[in-house]
Amino acid sequence: MNVSLLFLRKELRELRKNKFVLPVYLLLPPIAVILPVVFASLAPTIMAIDQNDPVVLAIHRIITTTPEFAHMGTDEAITRFFLRNLVAFYLLLPVGLSSISAAFSIVAEKQQRTLEPILATPITDFEFLIGKLLASLVPSIILTWAAAILAVVIVNWTTWGRYQTPLLPDRFWAIGVFLLAPIMGTASVLAAMRLSAKMSDPQSANQFTGLVIVPTFMVGIGIFGKVLTISMTAVAIACVVLLLLTLFLLRMNLKNFQREEILTKWK
Amino acid sequence: MLSRFFDGVPAVEDLSFEIPEGKLFTLLGPNGAGKTTTVRLLLGLIAPDAGTANIAGYKLGQTNNALRSVCGLLTETPGFYDRISAWENLIFFSHLYRIPQTVREQRLEQHLREMNLWERRDSLVGTFSKGMKQKLAIIRAIFHEPQVIFLDEPTAGLDPEASLMVREMIIRLKGEGRTIVVCTHNLDEAQRLADIVGIINGRLLLCDTLANLQSGAGLTTSIEIELGEPLRDHQRTAMNLPFVKSVQGKDRTYVVEVENPSSNIPGLVRVLVDKEVKVYAVRPKARDLEAIYLQCVSGKGVGQ
Repeated sequence: MNVSLLFLRKELRELRKNKFVLPVYLLLPPIAVILPVVFASLAPTIMAIDQNDPVVLAIHRIITTTPEFAHMGTDEAITRFFLRNLVAFYLLLPVGLSSISAAFSIVAEKQQRTLEPILATPITDFEFLIGKLLASLVPSIILTWAAAILAVVIVNWTTWGRYQTPLLPDRFWAIGVFLLAPIMGTASVLAAMRLSAKMSDPQSANQFTGLVIVPTFMVGIGIFGKVLTISMTAVAIACVVLLLLTLFLLRMNLKNFQREEILTKWK
Repeated sequence: MLSRFFDGVPAVEDLSFEIPEGKLFTLLGPNGAGKTTTVRLLLGLIAPDAGTANIAGYKLGQTNNALRSVCGLLTETPGFYDRISAWENLIFFSHLYRIPQTVREQRLEQHLREMNLWERRDSLVGTFSKGMKQKLAIIRAIFHEPQVIFLDEPTAGLDPEASLMVREMIIRLKGEGRTIVVCTHNLDEAQRLADIVGIINGRLLLCDTLANLQSGAGLTTSIEIELGEPLRDHQRTAMNLPFVKSVQGKDRTYVVEVENPSSNIPGLVRVLVDKEVKVYAVRPKARDLEAIYLQCVSGKGVGQ
């Protein structure tokens, strides 16, 4: 078996007994399934409560000025608009899941004193880094995709009677979930691994990730998320920028992820 | 001459020694003496600031991964993944050591049975006692059949029965021709196991075979001389030889501090006989390792 995949297998076995990481893995994906279903069912009703509300008016303005929604009925356009905005949650999902797992995975090696026995084997620094990266990233991506696919099926099933057409996935949803989300997940894992290397216990790593890395990505999505739901050019630019950020973080990690550094400076 | 500094402070300095293949080298020293740093240097886990070393034919710094594949390490604290079983832990590390699939499980079973852990192989390591973890860590250090084995406190935390089992296993490994480096505070253990003893405290204070150290070869040691009658003044004066450091005693029994006793005792006896001293017996006072160690690390040297 590939050494890097070995870490993934080991981490999956440990995951079910990990009290720091498991709750997050159990909580977030069901929310990612339920939210689109709830929004798909209630969006037109929510919009009808107060027609003069400034937010409702703003949404109506977007819907009427976006050519894509022009040929649709109001309810369908509103529902599609709400669903498209939920892509932001799917971008955050791998960030939340994988960065907490990544932060924990390095610091746990230190705490369990397994770092030195691992580093004393013929494993290369690169194999170790990629192993840790995959171990945190793969489960979170699989869960994100599984939640997204399940949401698509349920949303289409529950709304078919009303609109006679599948609402999901649209191209923004597909690119967001299947391309942007993994890239953001990778970037957050690399950031978490780099930062968690400075931590000495899982609690600090968890708190640091929860208070710094996840909120940083949330703010990013909050600022740019709106643009990502209406412009494919913005989505393409976001992909390129995030890829560059990911490559930069990978380079930083590779540069610093050396036996000597880990053993003598990571206290 | 290996040296390594941390923030300008020497952890180990001018380290130089040779361990013949198949020998057991015991590295003794107080806490913070540089034993762990020495092992890390020799495994290529940290780079030396000066010097280099050859381990099992591999030059340090050039092919460190290949070097690590022929070395085994037992760390001072046996670290394992507590949330997975002993078997899963060993399988994980056996992959990292690239143990061939064809022999992996068979070899693990053999070692687990030897260590009386076979029945507990599916238990979570988190439920293991310190002694059981230590035995598991020893299996991890040897299951890839390394040429050189570094054991940091191998019997720490073990009960007497398990300690005996580990010592017997170390002796067996030595019998198989493996070179073993044992870092320990346990002088009794060192005395039982070692072929060569090194005493370190930042620098290597002493390095010799256990037999030489105990007999005092190459060092100053005490001998007891039993005579037919007490020494007269001119006879005592005749003992003022360059290699005689002190003479103490009364009546007919004297304790003499002699440098390089194995080569100088015959000369001393010759001088005494020439001065008509009746020499009944000359007995080297064997020194135990504890005395040598304490003398060394207290900074007094070993009679040098």
